[in-house]
Amino acid sequence: MPQHDVIVIGGGFAGLRAALEARASSADVAVLSKVHPMRSHSSGAHSGVNAALKSGDSWQDHAKDTIEAGAYLCDQKAVEVLCKNASEDVVALERMGVIFNRDSDGRIDVMPFAGSSHPRTCYAGDSAGHVILQVLYEQVLRSQIPTYDEWFVSSILVEDGMCKGVVARELKTGQNHAFYAKAVILATGGLGRVYSPSTCSLTGTADGPALAYRAGAPLVDMEMVQYHPTTLSDRGILITEAARGEGGRLVNKDGDRFMAASDAGAMEMAARDVCSRAVHAEIQEGRGENGNVYLDLRHLDKGRISDRLRETLWLLEDLEDLDPSKDLIPVRPAMHRPIGGVRVDTFGATGLPGLYAAGECASTGAHGANRLGGNSLLDCVVFGRRAGEAAARHSRGATWHPPQESLAIAETAGFNEIASRAPGKDTPGIIRRELGSLMNRKVGILRDEAGLKDAASVLRNLKERHSRLGLRDKDAAYNTDIISAAELGNMLDVAEIIIAAALARRESRGCHYRTDFPQRDDVKWLRRSVATRSTRGPIINSAPVVVTQWNPAERNPAR
Amino acid sequence: MEVKIAIKRSNAQTNGKAISQAYSIEMDGNRTLLDGLIRIREEQDPTLAFRGSCGTGFCGDCTMTVNGKGAVACRTKLGKALKKADDGIIEVGPLKLAKVAKDLMYDAENFHWQKFKAVEPWVDPVAPPAKGENVVANDEVQDLRAVMSCTQCGLCDQGCTVLVVDKTFLGPAALTKAYRAVFDSRDSRTAERLQKLSMRRGMWDCTHCFEASEHCPKRIEPTDRIFALHDKAIKAEAGPPKVVHHYKSFAASVKAHGWLDEARLAVETEGFTNVRGLMKLLPFAVKAGIKGKHPLPYMLHKKRPGAEHIKRIFEKWEDNGK
Repeated sequence: MPQHDVIVIGGGFAGLRAALEARASSADVAVLSKVHPMRSHSSGAHSGVNAALKSGDSWQDHAKDTIEAGAYLCDQKAVEVLCKNASEDVVALERMGVIFNRDSDGRIDVMPFAGSSHPRTCYAGDSAGHVILQVLYEQVLRSQIPTYDEWFVSSILVEDGMCKGVVARELKTGQNHAFYAKAVILATGGLGRVYSPSTCSLTGTADGPALAYRAGAPLVDMEMVQYHPTTLSDRGILITEAARGEGGRLVNKDGDRFMAASDAGAMEMAARDVCSRAVHAEIQEGRGENGNVYLDLRHLDKGRISDRLRETLWLLEDLEDLDPSKDLIPVRPAMHRPIGGVRVDTFGATGLPGLYAAGECASTGAHGANRLGGNSLLDCVVFGRRAGEAAARHSRGATWHPPQESLAIAETAGFNEIASRAPGKDTPGIIRRELGSLMNRKVGILRDEAGLKDAASVLRNLKERHSRLGLRDKDAAYNTDIISAAELGNMLDVAEIIIAAALARRESRGCHYRTDFPQRDDVKWLRRSVATRSTRGPIINSAPVVVTQWNPAERNPAR
Repeated sequence: MEVKIAIKRSNAQTNGKAISQAYSIEMDGNRTLLDGLIRIREEQDPTLAFRGSCGTGFCGDCTMTVNGKGAVACRTKLGKALKKADDGIIEVGPLKLAKVAKDLMYDAENFHWQKFKAVEPWVDPVAPPAKGENVVANDEVQDLRAVMSCTQCGLCDQGCTVLVVDKTFLGPAALTKAYRAVFDSRDSRTAERLQKLSMRRGMWDCTHCFEASEHCPKRIEPTDRIFALHDKAIKAEAGPPKVVHHYKSFAASVKAHGWLDEARLAVETEGFTNVRGLMKLLPFAVKAGIKGKHPLPYMLHKKRPGAEHIKRIFEKWEDNGK
């Protein structure tokens, strides 16, 4: 049985950053990832990472922007940790080898991003994600941290109220193994595949939240699902916010810059949720074309964008035959990122001893009801580092008491049961497509009670079909069918929680917009929603928001 | 439109032999091959195994062979692939040079990652500044970023004419990754790295055929990156001595005389003090003398007409290099 002091599940930013820190704290740490770390969704992050590095900016300004963008639902203690650590953590990335763009003095350059009062986003062309992921992986190799590539974690081992490891399946052989650990860090990333379309990679299947939830750890703010305003037609392919940061304009079919109606000051630089709703409304009210509005970059300096939007220009050329110096880019909003996740403190602790979480699968509450662009990568490096440190500390204080072998066997048997069933008409893929479309239609940018109830009932049916699902692929080696089925199970569990939390929050705030309750309601709903598991499904409770120095106020729509 | 796709499939039961299986889907030709494969797996055949992650050309996971050529599936449009297909059927198979694992999945650990790790691609910093970030010129950053846009899709290795005959060659993908560390001014191990890259099956096995650059979907020009590594190794005298001497002698000869003095090249490559090496050359020298090829001491090698123009080209290039 493999065993390590700390096991990190997921090889993206948060996971690799956590592993590096655990290693630096002298822990025996290993990374388990269902794809090779370099294939993680982090590679697709274009934008950059926020840090108040420049004079005139401050961590307090950064914090205020974050809290306003989050519509005051942010845990302000977590925001303080995030913003105070930003500069040091970004500089640490640079020292590891990240090639941020430089200003004329050779210092890290920053660009303006939507919702930020100062240019604050450190970037690497339009491929910060790909660059940072590479550098973190380089450092993992340098630190000789073992990585188990293409291992899928099917459950967390919990015994005596403690997390004691995980059960994982090796894709190559089809063998299930129990891994014992004193601490486990979930860093599984997003849940975008719950929606269709989504900007998320195929790997974003809600694994971390589902594993934690089933292990008894609560999830928070799951109703907060961020849509990105500019994605390509119905593909869910992201056109980076940097395109607007560089001066790109949103126009309707008549060429009007419709953002003036939502926020004449910030225009296209309004916060993501504001921008997505404005684009959505424009299309719904018939001022779009073929379900899109347009992103106009034609007036921008060609030389400048050929460097700063290099990857985006190729993407448009390859996939849409578009030349943004001549053509308008058809765009529409699509699901981008969950804001909620596994409830953690600012050291990644879930409350279940030995279980930690960081990155997109977790929520410290720092992002409130809407995440500021450029804060996501920052979240991964700051909270990833702290989770790695805390997990290593926990493992130092803990003694080995591996679980009963029967526990691992029982968990494995549950996973294998699905493979033994006879195949029917349904496939994991058919159910996933129905789920994605359902969530986008009923639990998307605009929600109401009738739609959500409808979604809940359809979802029950999907879950029931999943429980009867049999698999056609009987191979042991490289059986992606069984992984798809398990991922679908994770997505269905989490979708159910998203719907329940969206039904519970009877107000509109940030990403969560209820057409039947269009106002923000601080009296009843300045509270975070907390989902726990019961035999009858998720139970939604609420917890107060931590306020330190920024009193809830009317939100400036630009933030 | 109707899209017909024939996929080469194999698994443990087929004993390494691939069977072609035909599928037909209804899909917009503007969508990608990866979209098509997902549709097949979701609706028709969940047993089909392939890799894919980001779906936008940033992660390098979905490399395969399409109509006989290496391609990244999420950047391959069905309509275009169909136009290039024989008989209106898109032929899809696993990457050719890698060992097949199942269907379109291949042994990525051996094909990509072992070699990636072998070049130790991380930055080993020189003493960092006391405070804040390293000061680096934006030009350097841009060059490194172009190299780091590599997704390890493996298409350059797939096109490499050396890897076809020798799978142990480091290959253009790993060498391009090595460039990232060698040319990063924050790294402290430049000379040592160049020595290591000069190992057997290392950077000097590149034949400069430019296929890697032809095949790179990100226009990173891996062949040029390998040239740059060669150049740096020669300048730093960090390559194998014979190789360094060969390059320097070649250039010095052409600069001095306007053409290549092969006798000089042979002698200087071996090195004046390398008696054993020079002795080996002796029979060739005798034969060349008999055939009238005059392996005279190279000081007497005749200049070609217009040699002074060629010399000026060298001098200009050397000035630019400064």
